[in-house]
Amino acid sequence: MIDREEVIRIAALARLDLSEEEIEKYQRDLTDFLTACAQLKKVDVSQLRATSHAVTIKPRLRQDRVGPSLKQTDVLSGGADVQDGFFRVPRIVEGQG
Amino acid sequence: MSRKYDTVIGLEIHVALLTESKFLCSCSTEFGAPPNSHCCPICLGLPGSLPAINAKAVEYAVIAGSALNCVINPFSKFDRKNYFYPDLPKAYQITQDAYPICGPGYLDYYVQDKLERTKIVRIHLEEEAGKLIHSGESIIDSEYSLVDYNRAGIPLIEIVTAPDITAPEQARLFLEQLRLVMNYIQVSDTKMEEGSLRCDANISLKPKGSPVLGTKVEIKNLNSFRALERALEFEKERQREVLEQGGQIEQESRTWDERAGKTMTMRSKADAPDYRFFPDPNLPPLNLDPVWIENLKKSLPELPLERLHRLKDQDRLSHYEAAFLVNYPDFGDLFEKVKVTFPEPKAIVNLLMGDYARLAREHGHLNPVRLGELLQLLADEVINKNQGKDILEELFKTEEDSPAEIVEKRGWRMLSDAAQLRKVVEGILADNPDLVGRFRNGENKLFGFFIGQVMRATEGKADPEVVNNLLREELEGGRN
Ligand SMILES: [Zn+2]
Repeated sequence: MIDREEVIRIAALARLDLSEEEIEKYQRDLTDFLTACAQLKKVDVSQLRATSHAVTIKPRLRQDRVGPSLKQTDVLSGGADVQDGFFRVPRIVEGQG
Repeated sequence: MSRKYDTVIGLEIHVALLTESKFLCSCSTEFGAPPNSHCCPICLGLPGSLPAINAKAVEYAVIAGSALNCVINPFSKFDRKNYFYPDLPKAYQITQDAYPICGPGYLDYYVQDKLERTKIVRIHLEEEAGKLIHSGESIIDSEYSLVDYNRAGIPLIEIVTAPDITAPEQARLFLEQLRLVMNYIQVSDTKMEEGSLRCDANISLKPKGSPVLGTKVEIKNLNSFRALERALEFEKERQREVLEQGGQIEQESRTWDERAGKTMTMRSKADAPDYRFFPDPNLPPLNLDPVWIENLKKSLPELPLERLHRLKDQDRLSHYEAAFLVNYPDFGDLFEKVKVTFPEPKAIVNLLMGDYARLAREHGHLNPVRLGELLQLLADEVINKNQGKDILEELFKTEEDSPAEIVEKRGWRMLSDAAQLRKVVEGILADNPDLVGRFRNGENKLFGFFIGQVMRATEGKADPEVVNNLLREELEGGRN
C-alpha cells in the first residue's frame, strides 16, 4: 500500500486538495494500479521491438502558414483577472533570495 | 581565480526559430503585436483542440543540428512536461524528453588564438512559453505579474552542451559563436533583447584536477552576453568562498539580478519540480526521411569558422581582419562582392574596417562596384589617401556619380606628370632666388618650404613623390 504522504505529494503536483476519505480511496486505487503495472512488468518482452508510442501513423506536418487567431477580447474572456490586454496573476515567487 | 579549484560550466541555450507561424498552430509569431492577440484554442490549450507540427520548425531544427555537427535522429518524439507556471497556458509544455531530434555534436570556436571545442549533448524541439511582465523590479519583489501568450507556442530548439567550458569568458565566446552560426544558417534572428536567444548556465567548482564534479548551481535570466559572463564570475567567486569556509554548495536554481550584480536563490532541489514526462497522445513521433536529412546537410551555407579559415588561408588576412568580416556577415558578404571587381583582399578589408565601417553604420552599405572603383583609383595612385576619404564620404551622399566622375568633377586627379610639374618647380625656384641661394648654402630646412609652395600652386594635387624628386634634382644639382 502506498503511503499517505505519497498520495498527498502527487495530489499537490496536480494542485488537488483531497479530503481524508479521498486520500484513503486514492491510496487503495493507486496501489491497485501499481500492482497491475508490476504484473505487466513481469511479462517477457525481450523478443519484441520497443514501442515508445501507441500511434504508428506517420505525422502529417503542417505547412508554415499564418492563419487567423482569436480576438483579444475572446482570449481574455477566460481569465479570472485581466489588465490592459494582459492576464494578471498573483505573486509567483515566495520569499526573498 | 583560486588555484585550488577548476571551474566547470555547461550551457542550455534556447533559440527561437524564425518561422512565420507557431510550432503547433497557425498563429503568427510576429514580435510586438498587441498582447494576447496571436492566440488560438491550440496555443491556449483549450479542451478539444488538436495540435499539428509545423514542418518548417522541424527543418530548422535539423539544419541547426547539422551546423552543430550533431547526429540527426530520424526517429524522435514529443512529450508533455507537466508543471504549473503562469507563462504556461496548458500547464504542460510540448518538448522532447527521451528521444530528441539531434544527438551528440560539437562547436569549435576561438578563445583568443586557441581553437576550443565544446561538445553538444543534444538538441530538442519544444514550444516557447508566454511572456511575463513583473510589477516589481524583479520576479522576487513583484506582487503581481502580467501575462502575454503571443509568444506561447513559438518553436524553439534547446541546445544542451556538455560541461566542457572552464571559464566565464569562454562561456561568453561560445555563446557568441553559437549565435553567429544561427545567424549564418538563418534559422533565428537571435535577438537576446527580444528573447529569441536565451541562455541558462550550470556552474560548479571541483578541486583542481579532480575527476569528480562538484554540486552544480543553475543560473537563469541571463539576457545578454555580458550578463552571462558577469553572473558566472559572481557565482564562481560565491561558490569558492563557500567551499573555502568549509561549507557545501546547495544544488539550486538562482536568478541573475542585473541591477544588484549578483545571483539570488530561486528554488532549491528540495522543492524542485517533478515534471512527470509522458508521450503526447496527440502528436505521433517524427520519422524523418534520411535522404531529406542528407540533402539539408549538403545545402548548409559556409559557416563562420569555415569562412574565417578561408579568409586567413586563401585571402591572407590576419586573424583580426578575418574575424571582423566573419563577425559582421554583412561586411563579409560585401567584401566578397568587392573582390569580384577588385581582387586585393588586404586593401578591401582596410577600407571596410576604417572610415567605411562608421559611415556604413549610419547610412547603410555602398554598392560593391563603386567601392571597387574607388579602391582602383587609390591603387593606381590617381588620388591620394586623403582624397580617397573625401570621395568615400561623397559616395554615401550621391548615388549618381562614380568615384572617377567625382574625381573628374573636383579636378582631383593627382598630378604626377613630371614634365608638367617640372615647369611648376622651375617657376617657384625662379621666383625665390634668395631662398634658393640659402638652401644651396646648407639651409636644409628650406626644402619643406619649396614642397609646400609646389603643393599650393597645384592645389594639393601634385604627387608628393614626384615633386620631391624634381626638387632634389633642381636644387641639389646647383649646390655649392
Ligand atoms: Zn495559436
